[in-house]
Amino acid sequence: MNLSDSKKKLALAGVVCGLVAVCLALMGNPANMAFCIACFIRDTAGAFGMHQAEVVQYARPEIIGLVLGSFLISAATKEYRSTAGSSPMIRFVLGVIIMIGALVFLGCPLRMIIRMSAGDLNAWVALVGFILGIATGVFALKNGFSLGRAYATNKINGAVLPMIVTGILVLALATSLLKASEAGPGSMHAPVIASLIGGLVFGAFAQKSRMCFAGSMRDVILMKNFDLLSVIAGLFVVLLIFNIATGRFVAGFNTPGVIAHSEHLWNILGMYTVGFAAVLAGGCPLRQLILAGQGSSDAAVTVVGMFVGGAMCHNFGLAASGTSLNPETKELVAGAVPPNGKIACIICIIICFVIAFTCKREDAKK
Amino acid sequence: MRKKELKLVVTFHTTADAMAMEKACREQEVPGRIIPVPRTISAGCGLAWCAGLEDREQIAAMMKKTGIEEEDMHECMV
Repeated sequence: MNLSDSKKKLALAGVVCGLVAVCLALMGNPANMAFCIACFIRDTAGAFGMHQAEVVQYARPEIIGLVLGSFLISAATKEYRSTAGSSPMIRFVLGVIIMIGALVFLGCPLRMIIRMSAGDLNAWVALVGFILGIATGVFALKNGFSLGRAYATNKINGAVLPMIVTGILVLALATSLLKASEAGPGSMHAPVIASLIGGLVFGAFAQKSRMCFAGSMRDVILMKNFDLLSVIAGLFVVLLIFNIATGRFVAGFNTPGVIAHSEHLWNILGMYTVGFAAVLAGGCPLRQLILAGQGSSDAAVTVVGMFVGGAMCHNFGLAASGTSLNPETKELVAGAVPPNGKIACIICIIICFVIAFTCKREDAKK
Repeated sequence: MRKKELKLVVTFHTTADAMAMEKACREQEVPGRIIPVPRTISAGCGLAWCAGLEDREQIAAMMKKTGIEEEDMHECMV
């Protein structure tokens, strides 16, 4: 089935992915974190002991499924292309930056949409920053920003990340080497097989529809093209309907249990960072996993950067805390971005500007 | 809805090349517009230049003159 020849079919791909997120939330994933790329990469990094935050350690099969889903569907439909060589270390840095921005906001663009559909107004505030970040990236593109071209490589190169995630799955299922949270968000998860199948389906549909949260906005700003945005619209609508129909839609700030904070400036700047870095890297966190699955070693390096970034966020106290209820006093404890997180976010934005306006097409061609 | 037509679609190695193409075409009044790479051509999410089939030679000449290298030139429904 050709998913890309009309906006309706593209929206249908978004609907399928939305339904996957709904099913996984119903089966045990944290409701408002049903399918978050940044959170799940951070959890998987924790499972490897890359950070010691005990409540967010779990090898999320969704991440494994996304990469393998993209790999398998691209191989089956002859779209697998092993490529590499487009500024790998800059892409690594952009991967780290994307994670820092995402964990200052508390979620990737996919989770931002999930939170928006549940009425979390903090996510709507963050959307402003995300769009501004993408617009800044588009401005850089118009001014000649380039990381240089990728080249075809030996086929096995592009299959390395799919093999690594398969190895993670084996370790998770057959050994007790990986850490797993006993409390907190990391302990909340759907059964492994459901998460894996969900990831595979999501990955396959995302590969076919080219789902990308940054790319969709980029295309609207740059060309007034709404094709990719229709995928996101399908995802949002199905989640919105589900939340309203099941009474889960609660419009407001400071909602306990949503794992969000109401520091508006930092919600905006966190997602500004993600949007900006994602345009420079050529895709949002989800898209990086999908591109890596279909053979891009450059995207795989960005994914490695996201793992390192996820670990850094917890090792160096950069990640924000969510608003919660004190179980003893029943008082609302406001979530916040720690000072280190604010400093890191500003540094990340500065680095993005340096990358955006120093990496030029003319230089890349020399 | 706009009816799809057979068009010339020029793809590039980088997004920056596509942006340079747009700039050069505007300056030299070469016909066409920038579009997302059609899904039938690529699973990637880059940009392409779309023009009429009859503009092929003019576009190729302009690209040679300005040093913009294409990845490929396709004819497809857009």
